Amino acid sequence: MALRWGWWWWRWRCGASARRAPPPPPLGSVPGPGSRPPPPALGGAMCHFPQRSSVLSFPKICNIFWRFHHTSTSQMCSCSKTVSDEKYQDPFQLGRKDLKNLYEDIKKELLVSTAELREMCEYYFDGKGKAFRPMIVVLMARACNIHHSNSREVQASQRSVAIIAEMIHTASLVHDDVIDDANSRRGKMTVNQIWGERKAVLAGDFILSAASLALARIGNTTIISVLTQVIEDLVRGEFLQLGSKENENERFAHYLEKTFKKTASLIANSCKAVSILGCPDPKVHEIAYQYGKNVGIAFQLIDDVLDFTSCADRLGKPAAADLKLGLATGPVLFACRQFPEMNAMIMRRFSKPGDVERARKYVLQSDGVQQTTYLAQRYCHEATREISKLRPSPEREALIQLTEMVLMRDK
Amino acid sequence: MWGALLRLGGRRGLSGGVPPPAAPWSQVVSEAEKIVGYPTSFMSLRCLLSDELSNIAMQVRKLVGTKHPLLDTARGFVYDSRNNLQMRGLVVLLISKAAGPSTAELSFQHNMVSGIYSSQRSLAEITELIHTAFLVHRGIVNIGELKSCDGPLKDMQFGNKMAVLSGDFLLANACTSLAQLQNTKVVELISSAIGDLVQGIYYENSKSSEENCLTDDIGISTWKEQVFLSHSALLAKSCQAAMELAKHSAEIQDMAFQYGKHMSMSHKLHSDLQPFVKESSSDIMAFSLNCAPAVLHQEFLGRDAWIKQIREAQGKGNIMDYKKLQEAIKAGKGVTSAIDLCRCHGNRALAALESFPPSEARAALANIVYAVTRFS
Repeated sequence: MALRWGWWWWRWRCGASARRAPPPPPLGSVPGPGSRPPPPALGGAMCHFPQRSSVLSFPKICNIFWRFHHTSTSQMCSCSKTVSDEKYQDPFQLGRKDLKNLYEDIKKELLVSTAELREMCEYYFDGKGKAFRPMIVVLMARACNIHHSNSREVQASQRSVAIIAEMIHTASLVHDDVIDDANSRRGKMTVNQIWGERKAVLAGDFILSAASLALARIGNTTIISVLTQVIEDLVRGEFLQLGSKENENERFAHYLEKTFKKTASLIANSCKAVSILGCPDPKVHEIAYQYGKNVGIAFQLIDDVLDFTSCADRLGKPAAADLKLGLATGPVLFACRQFPEMNAMIMRRFSKPGDVERARKYVLQSDGVQQTTYLAQRYCHEATREISKLRPSPEREALIQLTEMVLMRDK
Repeated sequence: MWGALLRLGGRRGLSGGVPPPAAPWSQVVSEAEKIVGYPTSFMSLRCLLSDELSNIAMQVRKLVGTKHPLLDTARGFVYDSRNNLQMRGLVVLLISKAAGPSTAELSFQHNMVSGIYSSQRSLAEITELIHTAFLVHRGIVNIGELKSCDGPLKDMQFGNKMAVLSGDFLLANACTSLAQLQNTKVVELISSAIGDLVQGIYYENSKSSEENCLTDDIGISTWKEQVFLSHSALLAKSCQAAMELAKHSAEIQDMAFQYGKHMSMSHKLHSDLQPFVKESSSDIMAFSLNCAPAVLHQEFLGRDAWIKQIREAQGKGNIMDYKKLQEAIKAGKGVTSAIDLCRCHGNRALAALESFPPSEARAALANIVYAVTRFS
């Protein structure tokens, strides 16, 4: 559902007529139990937002949203804070204890006799990554446990899920770097750069097999199915990236689907997995899944924005990387609306000399970055709306804080 | 002819004397396929017809004319049936049938076609998917080691990309099918087999640079450990997993494992021995200096003498004269020793089969052993 309304948002932004618009997304709809009311400044506008009869007032709404965004991203954050009655806590502090030994535990799963292979596999588990995904998983585990039985303890199996998720993610990174022929990540050289492509691919395969082994040891066939789905989605996401669509609307839907498969699926399914382990209620599983899905998509959208707005030092990897790989991400797709000459460049995947630079300039001149950021905000709101249906807890608030951190990150 | 083979297939061992006449490999395979109910060359066809792989296939065409190994791998699938295409899957199916129905619950007996449960068939397919995925992943090139004679850089990068993607796709399919079996022990077994396979290939890689013609100083027992990982673990554990799927006892599971392990060791030894037992001297086959006969030869001769022989065969231009080296090895005890080792493993595989009741499937499994231990 998150994908549908994202696509719908795209159509709306393109000024498409309401005739073809799919059913309105549930934004601004009746809040679930325990959720906060929407921030006052947006409240009225949000109720009108999706309705077909408001076609004429779209530009007006657009204006409101636009100004609102430009003046007060932080204001939006403070709105959520004032409504909440839990103390403000830094999510990373909250999850810190659980994740303290995360990387050590991952290394235990990677015990292999060959020193070099072990070194390669452990290369990214040096504790310098953001550990964003395990953080979400652990917080979600607690939030679900509290919702179900008021217990804050994280089960061993739930912690395993966090470990497994991080391992699957890293394995895919190692392979992605070979596919993209990348030479730096997280501020240091890539595995393929140091040890060569042959061994890098093997290292990725090994990490995946270790993750799969750990998954089997949890002993729960449902969890195995849920997390195996991620592995499939990751690969299909890579394939989606290979292809391109001619039609602009198809392109955007394609982009959202790829974003889901490559980034959001892992977070969504690991959240779902820990919720299954912590609580028998399928509604809770769906909430966890939707939270993960929306946050994941927002995370990737911001990532795509940072590729244009940040510089290489900050990111830890080269900037404008997506363009150089021939990929047309959110900012580009939005910019193309204002600069139709970008269409040809998109179709040839920025392969002609000078394409990357030109495209970059167009994007920065357009409102592509702002539009994508705004879309990310919408996804974050949706995530917040979902998670707010759970019983209040510090962890639930932390998960909400996390959505804001996603929006405000700069690397 | 088949009846005669069945009678012979029962009890005969391989030590000393002449082994029973083994049928040609292709015949063994086609008879076995009849036993399991359909040609196994169609396994994974569903997967191969997927959009993603058709996409890849189209892209791989661009590699024609380049030197990327993926092209060879792809060709191998189509033309090289002597490389035992789908052999592993066939063995898993045969052993499933040989073990018979589950003694556990009667309800288990449904879903059996030609004496094999659908979950076991799925496992056979998974085994092939994994094997194929790693054939593909073996064909990656190191960009940093490329020379201008290897062709344009972007072709090699493209080939790598296709190889990684298609291998990952096959592995992902294997994982999904594994999850559908709804059996955590099987997932554990097969995941550990994948880990073994990676380690085995890793060892292969470390020694494959033919430029540095010096071989590793390994003895035969290390060789066996490494070959177990790269060539036996997958089949051995799949055979065991097939037994687990039908809830057979731990003893039967172990026997299936032993069969898979020893049969594939024999197979590897058989394959390593080919350059040394073939009569035709026209085609000089290059061989790995870490093949079994060479490793055994070194053990008998001592490392220094072996290195000296290698250097002599290398001559002035640093180009290996394989014929000369082959003769040096044949003159020693390496070849006969390797043949003995092959038969030894073959016997252990046959011994493991004793735990299964006599049947067509069991006989076919024995015939496979005879075929890989035959050297005439």
